[in-house]
Amino acid sequence: MKSCSGKTVPPPPLPLEHPSAMSQPIEHQFNPYSDNGGTILGIAGEDFAVLAGDTRHTTDYSINSRSESKVFDVGDGIVISANGFAADSTALVKRFRNSLKWYHFNENEKRLSLSAAARNIQHLLYGKRFFPYYVHTIIAGLDEEGKGAVYSFDPVGSYEREQCRAGGAAASLIMPFLDNQVNFKNQYVPGTGEKRPITYLSVEEVVKLVRDSFTSATERHIHVGDGLEILIVTKDGVRREYHELKRD
Amino acid sequence: MFLTRSEYDRGVSTFSPEGRLFQVEYSLEAIKLGSTAIGITTSEGVVLGVEKRATSPLLESDSIEKIVEIDRHIGCAMSGLTADARSMIEHARTSAITHDLYYDENIKVESLTQSVCDLALRFGEGAAGEERLMSRPFGVALLIAGYDADDGYQLYHAEPSGTFYRYNAKAIGSGSEGAQSELQNEWHSSLNMRDAEVLTLKILKQVMEEKLDQNNVQLCCITKDGGFEIYDNKKTGEIIKLLKEKEEEEKTQQEQDQQQGEDVEMS
Amino acid sequence: MNHDPYSWGRPSDETYGQYSDAIAHAPSFPKMNTQQPIVTGTSVISMKYNNGVIIAADHLGSYGSLLRFTDIERLFPVGKNTVVGISGDISDMQHIEALLEELETENNYDNSHADDEESLQPSYVFEYLATVMYQRRSKMNPLWNALIVAGVEDSKPFLKYVNLLGVTYSSPTLATGFGAHLAVPLLRRVVDRESDVEKTDMQTATDTILQAMKVLYYRDARSSRKFSMAIIDNDQGLVFNKELEVENMKWNFAKDIKGYGTQKV
Repeated sequence: MKSCSGKTVPPPPLPLEHPSAMSQPIEHQFNPYSDNGGTILGIAGEDFAVLAGDTRHTTDYSINSRSESKVFDVGDGIVISANGFAADSTALVKRFRNSLKWYHFNENEKRLSLSAAARNIQHLLYGKRFFPYYVHTIIAGLDEEGKGAVYSFDPVGSYEREQCRAGGAAASLIMPFLDNQVNFKNQYVPGTGEKRPITYLSVEEVVKLVRDSFTSATERHIHVGDGLEILIVTKDGVRREYHELKRD
Repeated sequence: MFLTRSEYDRGVSTFSPEGRLFQVEYSLEAIKLGSTAIGITTSEGVVLGVEKRATSPLLESDSIEKIVEIDRHIGCAMSGLTADARSMIEHARTSAITHDLYYDENIKVESLTQSVCDLALRFGEGAAGEERLMSRPFGVALLIAGYDADDGYQLYHAEPSGTFYRYNAKAIGSGSEGAQSELQNEWHSSLNMRDAEVLTLKILKQVMEEKLDQNNVQLCCITKDGGFEIYDNKKTGEIIKLLKEKEEEEKTQQEQDQQQGEDVEMS
Repeated sequence: MNHDPYSWGRPSDETYGQYSDAIAHAPSFPKMNTQQPIVTGTSVISMKYNNGVIIAADHLGSYGSLLRFTDIERLFPVGKNTVVGISGDISDMQHIEALLEELETENNYDNSHADDEESLQPSYVFEYLATVMYQRRSKMNPLWNALIVAGVEDSKPFLKYVNLLGVTYSSPTLATGFGAHLAVPLLRRVVDRESDVEKTDMQTATDTILQAMKVLYYRDARSSRKFSMAIIDNDQGLVFNKELEVENMKWNFAKDIKGYGTQKV
């Protein structure tokens, strides 16, 4: 570009959005993750705990399967589910089963407590801190006093014991409902302005809450539906319940 | 030119024709040269006691450390080449704390003992390609005492050969033969902690060459609530006093019995 | 004369410009991380029926929109009661084919029970493939395929899917790629839930699969008329037909299609 004086001046810089400003090679990378939908829910009662999950398996808008379980009874009164990227979920549960087997070998068939299982899972998850298992993990069972317990994890292993937790696609739909119905958040004793005191729910009440949570999530979330599998842990063992959900 | 054994006691991993590993057997001999250590289990806790052999009157007896803590719920006493125990203790402590890290619970006493014994065999190469860590077997034996929720109070004897056994009461080291037969006579399941402490000192006193005092013995205990606790000289002194009182009592009792016997004979 | 030994025998800069010595500074180990599929095979479709499973895939290997290879077999029998159907990259498919052959050879070698108690079962083949697929994706170097393992195990139909991400699932009807969108709805009209499998005989299932293959040939631009279909029946064993063609197509609607392409209305 020549100016009036005949001196060469550099052209004005192109705006960053301009295609030729981005003429560096475009890096294309294989994406090792996908979202396989579904949702899970764990609630602890006084002497029991439940962990439930729907059986729909999706990628994008396709329903891959209407009957793929994702909550597992791994023994020692522990039930586990990892929701999110299904391949990581399968891998994590497989690794935990393996870890449990080795624990039995090394510790003379000792029963793995739920708190020990939780700590162990933290290390399985954090071990892949820089290539995480893309899952929301929940385990449920009984603690050493026989009280119901639920532990939930983030993808890299942060964990916490809770009274209830929803995970996966419809977690944000179910969790506020649970806060209200399990921990009585925003509930007051009529006429007094006092908070409604927290009490334990019975198994029947909890199963009702779980079923309502999933039917509602099925209505509003396209990645939830088809079937509901509930695993119930008591001192007598693990019981399974199955209920149909809408398939649309 | 060759002594009978010399052909087969060179390599640590060479069997003799009779099927013996001489270096391992020699390591067991090293323990028999060590000072005596005793462990006694009761329903209330476990007691460990060791003799602190002072090789010089100028030696500071506090600097002899033969009882150590592994974790809050596990302690250990040693006999033999105590320097060798340092790497075993470090391994044991690592195992215990690693278990706590991975499982948020106390390691079982048996698992801890197993882990130490795994290390004891590392004078050879492992079957799974583990490197050879040491040129010879350990020259030290351990009495590992502890508590866990599954099996209660436990006492294990871990040898350089990598084997371990559980005992109600066990003595190792130079005075172990006499001490063990004494334990066999005296141990019963209803011992309390005080009984076990006094019994430990009583037996140590019998097998020690020096006169027993609070400076040349060391005691510790492991209980469910208190965990590992090492006794200071004052507390040890009190138990020694108790032992002396008990001995006096027995002596007078004996004399009375003898007197009675003589009386019976007279009448 | 340039006396630098490095310049001896090289084209002169005056004539050919600056000599590029970039190759001398290249890293010693070039690394190719990821890929994209090159020659590809389209859908594999499959369904269960009351006495076994049916699986089908066409014979085309596409190079982009070019119908490059027209006689590629994408169904692979493993053992007596398993068939693996593979879609996606054809070279990766051929690698998987080699893995499956190796698996079978290793299982049979020096094994007098390879024909009975220790024969490869569909679930074993599947577990192996799923492990391979997940390991490869975890190394960021995937096998660019979607596979369906079909077979009969303990007299019951077996059907399971795994893809380049290591994602696995099972359903009484399964299809990869375009088939997941076009064929699955047709297959589910016949078998929607596990309980429908009992009510469906081999003939019904075969007709359904053939119909779905026809629809795929109509609507999938990267499909071919020739295809293979394997039936793994609990009584008859493997029935493998490699000579099938889409038949009885009706194109009379085509003359009424207006508004696309170059023709004038």
